[in-house]
Amino acid sequence: MASVGQSLPHDSATGHVTGAARYIDDLPRLDRELYVDFAGSPVAAGRIRSIDLTAARAVPGVVCLLTYDHLGGPNHFGPIIPDEAFLAEEEVVYVGQPIVVIAAETPAAALRARQLIVVDIEERKPVLSIDDALAAKSFIGPERRMMTPGAESDADFEAAFRSAPHTLAGRFVSGGQEQFYFETQAALSIPGEGGDVRVISSTQNTTETQAVVAEALGLGMHQVVCECQRMGGGFGGKETQSAIPAVMTALVVKQTGRPARLVLRRGDDMRITGKRHPYQTDYRVAFAADGRLIAAQMAYYSNGGAFADLSTSVMERTMLHADNAYHVPMLRVTGQVCRTNLPPNTAFRGFGGPQGVAVIESLLEDIAQVVGRDPFDVRRLNLYRDGDPARSVTHYGQIVRDHVLDETFDRLAASSNYRHRVNAVTEFNTTSITHVRGIALTAIKFGISFTTKFLNQANALVNVYTDGTVQVSTGGTEMGQGLYTKIQQLVADEFGLPPSRVRMMATSTEKSNNTSPTAASAGTDLNGAAALVACGQIIERMRDYAAGLFASTERGLVAAPEHVVIDDGAVWDDRDPSHRIEFGEFCAMARRERVDLGARGFYATPGVDYNRETGCGNPFFYYTTGAAIAEVTIDRFTGELTFDRADVLMDIGRSINPGVDRGQVIGGFIQGVGWVTNEELRYNDAGHLLSTGPTTYKIPNVTDLPRVLNVDFIDNPKHQKNVRQSKAVGEPPLMLGICAWMAAKNALQSLAGDKRVELAIPATGEELLTRMTALVGQAVPDAVGTSQISGRR
Amino acid sequence: MRNSLVFYVNGDRHEVRGEAAGRTLSDYLRGGCGSPTAERLVGTKIACAEGDCGACTVLVGKTAPSGDRLDYQTIDACIAFIYQLDRRHVVTVEGLQEDSRLAPAQQAMVDCHGSQCGFCTPGFVMALQGLVEESDDRGPLADETLRLGLSGNLCRCTGYSQILDAGKRLDPARVDSVAKQYDPAPMLADFAALGDGPVRVNPRDTHQLNGHATAAPPVEVFLPSTLPELVEFRADNPDAKLVSGATDVGVQFNHGKLAPVAVISTTGVAELQHLEVVDEELVIGAAVPWSRVEAFAKHELPAYHAILTRFGSPQVRHAGTLVGNLANASPIADSIPFHYVAGSTLELASVGGRRDVPIEDFYLGYKQLDLRPDEVIIAVRTPLPAENVQLRLYKVSKRRDMDISTVTTAFWLELEGDLCAGARLAAGGVGPTVVRLPRAEEALIGRPLTLEAMRVAGRIAREEITPISDVRGGADYRLQLVENLFAKCWHEVRGNGILTGSSG
Repeated sequence: MASVGQSLPHDSATGHVTGAARYIDDLPRLDRELYVDFAGSPVAAGRIRSIDLTAARAVPGVVCLLTYDHLGGPNHFGPIIPDEAFLAEEEVVYVGQPIVVIAAETPAAALRARQLIVVDIEERKPVLSIDDALAAKSFIGPERRMMTPGAESDADFEAAFRSAPHTLAGRFVSGGQEQFYFETQAALSIPGEGGDVRVISSTQNTTETQAVVAEALGLGMHQVVCECQRMGGGFGGKETQSAIPAVMTALVVKQTGRPARLVLRRGDDMRITGKRHPYQTDYRVAFAADGRLIAAQMAYYSNGGAFADLSTSVMERTMLHADNAYHVPMLRVTGQVCRTNLPPNTAFRGFGGPQGVAVIESLLEDIAQVVGRDPFDVRRLNLYRDGDPARSVTHYGQIVRDHVLDETFDRLAASSNYRHRVNAVTEFNTTSITHVRGIALTAIKFGISFTTKFLNQANALVNVYTDGTVQVSTGGTEMGQGLYTKIQQLVADEFGLPPSRVRMMATSTEKSNNTSPTAASAGTDLNGAAALVACGQIIERMRDYAAGLFASTERGLVAAPEHVVIDDGAVWDDRDPSHRIEFGEFCAMARRERVDLGARGFYATPGVDYNRETGCGNPFFYYTTGAAIAEVTIDRFTGELTFDRADVLMDIGRSINPGVDRGQVIGGFIQGVGWVTNEELRYNDAGHLLSTGPTTYKIPNVTDLPRVLNVDFIDNPKHQKNVRQSKAVGEPPLMLGICAWMAAKNALQSLAGDKRVELAIPATGEELLTRMTALVGQAVPDAVGTSQISGRR
Repeated sequence: MRNSLVFYVNGDRHEVRGEAAGRTLSDYLRGGCGSPTAERLVGTKIACAEGDCGACTVLVGKTAPSGDRLDYQTIDACIAFIYQLDRRHVVTVEGLQEDSRLAPAQQAMVDCHGSQCGFCTPGFVMALQGLVEESDDRGPLADETLRLGLSGNLCRCTGYSQILDAGKRLDPARVDSVAKQYDPAPMLADFAALGDGPVRVNPRDTHQLNGHATAAPPVEVFLPSTLPELVEFRADNPDAKLVSGATDVGVQFNHGKLAPVAVISTTGVAELQHLEVVDEELVIGAAVPWSRVEAFAKHELPAYHAILTRFGSPQVRHAGTLVGNLANASPIADSIPFHYVAGSTLELASVGGRRDVPIEDFYLGYKQLDLRPDEVIIAVRTPLPAENVQLRLYKVSKRRDMDISTVTTAFWLELEGDLCAGARLAAGGVGPTVVRLPRAEEALIGRPLTLEAMRVAGRIAREEITPISDVRGGADYRLQLVENLFAKCWHEVRGNGILTGSSG
């Protein structure tokens, strides 16, 4: 039976539930292994006057203390712009920025040394917010622009606004989000021969880790191996910043010749690593009396932190998702990354998409309010229309095709009983004076592919052994998303084997070179496809060999590779099915005849091409789409939000593993809900993060899960692309979590009458209560009669 | 006197003294249980080291009151110390499997895709097994039971839905208790043979004699078994840290903020285990864990029970105590406002005798207590509300469960017909200590309890408090919350009730 399409358990599930699955901190201690720690900047901005290591050096058990001048290579790195120092030189630019790396025989000695390091700093006033940065003109990279082909003329664009029946303008604010992977950033570096280093890293990006370590140590890339068996969660946070512990431990290896390990404390991890970018968006939109979009302009500003990291790429994805699932006839967007004195913000599931999607979804809610229509109808009216040339082209010129957005909306409205529930919510709000309820739908159309073209490649190594078992290695890393499981299923089907005979091996730069990070939801698309290419090469050789085996002059069978069947754990010729050779036996025979049973496959996504300078082209191979409806109840006294129900419907193509994909959808969705509700990063005026652990930073708890949660998938026979006609699923559902925020906004709108509801992301209890109090003077009226319920639906 | 700690891990006997006695349980397990040759039990994961994620959840069995079995409950191993485990049986995720066959909780998690990255998974497996252990009727686990029971475990990957599926698939009637796998009889016999007497590990005087000045001496541990032993040791060792559940001590220890030279663990003191109603007063002994109070209050004091279910997490409530919460003296301690309005009395003891202190007199300032260095709190006496008392307790936090309050309030309203005959009000999270709100009380007493009266009192209350802005919320938000909770209280007590039913 084919295993693609089956809900096989995660390939490490047994290891997960028994505790046998190993993470970096679980690996056995090595002989003479050192504990690594670091001392970071106590201030957000300043100039280092001196570093006094005397007292720290005297701590028993301290083996070495390293500053930037111990580096063997250049002290700067960065995936896009190499502006980031491994260790601070003269300037410190964010709180916790590493200055001294410490290695010691025990964690206690390392910690003691850290406490005794004295860094004298001339403090400067930090730039912390986007407004600070705008005032100081503190930017990373140039402002980028994108506009609808045909909207280039300023005169036409302004005319559209002047002649439109309605316009709205304002500013939209969304906060950052901590990845909160459970396994903190961690690495173990081990010395090899001739100065080589092996780095075992919790990373989404083995190649980048290899390159950065080589650079920092002044080694060739061929002297560094980076491997990753699994991560305890990544979510984008380990796409570039996993380099921090990797470089620190590798430096210690170079200095001491001893193995070295660093597993960041949660507080350190939260303080010094980057997060989802906070955004501020100035917008204006013009629309018709029925709510149809005419023109829109968005100016996005992101808080990039102190170094470039991936910020310009994140901004690009925001700009490419300004439209979300909606056709905007004239759309102009600009994007500017701001440089501030926060840790460099980085990738986080969605990669700028959420910040763009939230703005247009919020606008559509406002537009519905202005034109007096149900927001569902206004959204549906504005959807991209498959096959309609006038409503299919994005602002960057790509055609949105082969989608089922209309059908998704209609099916979701029916299955969730949307119309009836809208009435019930209105009814509730006219009777309850203690609580207010809201319901809303939001959609997603998420572009799949790296927007940086060259990253859309992958390679894989497939080795078949003489007992008929198979090992597979790819450049894709496993962070819980089920990549290994899906590739295992794909490969098992190629050879007609049960998946138990295919084993996924740790990702390693020794086996897969020049890999892309496991990111952009494209892990299976790229690495699965590369594995299939490798399988295809082996199978072709097997067929050629088998054809000779099954040829028989007596029975009139000429050698015919096209008649060879490799399936059900055996090999045969379909003209003589009774003569079967068990697959393992066949492999042993093939080896004896000098048939190569190993192959490396290479895959490059076809057809993606995008010009960053002009903002035009086809950045995406295809889109993953969906929609979700949320209903929430808000306590008018406290602002506390209860998530009553969610209905999620997505087109994820033909699922390779529905159980895994369901987990991706729900997990991503709830992560998105966390972003828009309770996950709040608080800093003090000096740029110190206050929410540095789960005690003060609140990711969703099981009791925050909606009471009713329906998740379903919609068929899309039009989608014929991609590996086994599947679709990427990692990031898109996160943005559907925005529906919970939209439902809260909808609830507040019922209190606001004709006023516009301003609401920021995240809508914490504090944000909701503050907004409600501002809307109605006091949060709770004396009786229903005095409340301001619009009841306009 | 016994000078070592004895406990079992996955059925193996451990006898510990020296440095290991003061380690956290997770550190001990992951570090190879103090032996270079033992298996490192790394299935118990550390993701936060502050008891706020549950990845380190293990089961701890202790002798049941009947003496004939071990009762197992979940705790967070990252904030539990080895010295708290004397005569206990710790079961870790590695100990759940029998003959390399997955335990039902493990199998259900595999079958339902309950794990993704896998890092939180051992904690969830142990929490699920814990729910089975605590299930009275061994019936299927209801959705609500699962949600509350798993609220001490965070997961970043799954969105929990498939973990709940696993919980629903689990049939407690067909799941063996860990007691079936690990015969309690030999452990019970061992514990009985060790006796109920006091234990003293790493006494400081012997270490000082050794003269090795370079390494810090291991923490001295004293486990008294009677109240006289407790107060006597306390008198002699005013620098020792008194520990009951360690749910805050553990956090501070992990953050490097607390490294006591000596600890006194009160758990074994029989006199501190009282939990009863005497003369219309609820008496809660100093060593009674929250989970027992929670169960007891369900019928005796429903308003208290309701808010207790949101204290910490199930794991924390299995370990932490009321007296620990009171003595820790945080202005956002969830329990204090209730005990203020109820007029609780703290019973203190020392070698010199006993004294009672009304709770409001106990707090002198931020973390300043009316507690002499030689004294210990042994119990809290709380008058139960009469029938005409409306008791309402509110906890507002960013997240509903496993969060620390932004604001807490307690309303104790004595009603005579329409009239508010008496009012005692308290608020936490609004200043350096929990405060009564005397002017707001005054505004209510002797007047009809109308919404307008409560609104006026709420506005007065705003002026009686001085909240700060911090990570949990702004000062303005806290002021608004306190004011609004007066109106909310009225709606619950006198209004048409609260309309919250889902239209789903």
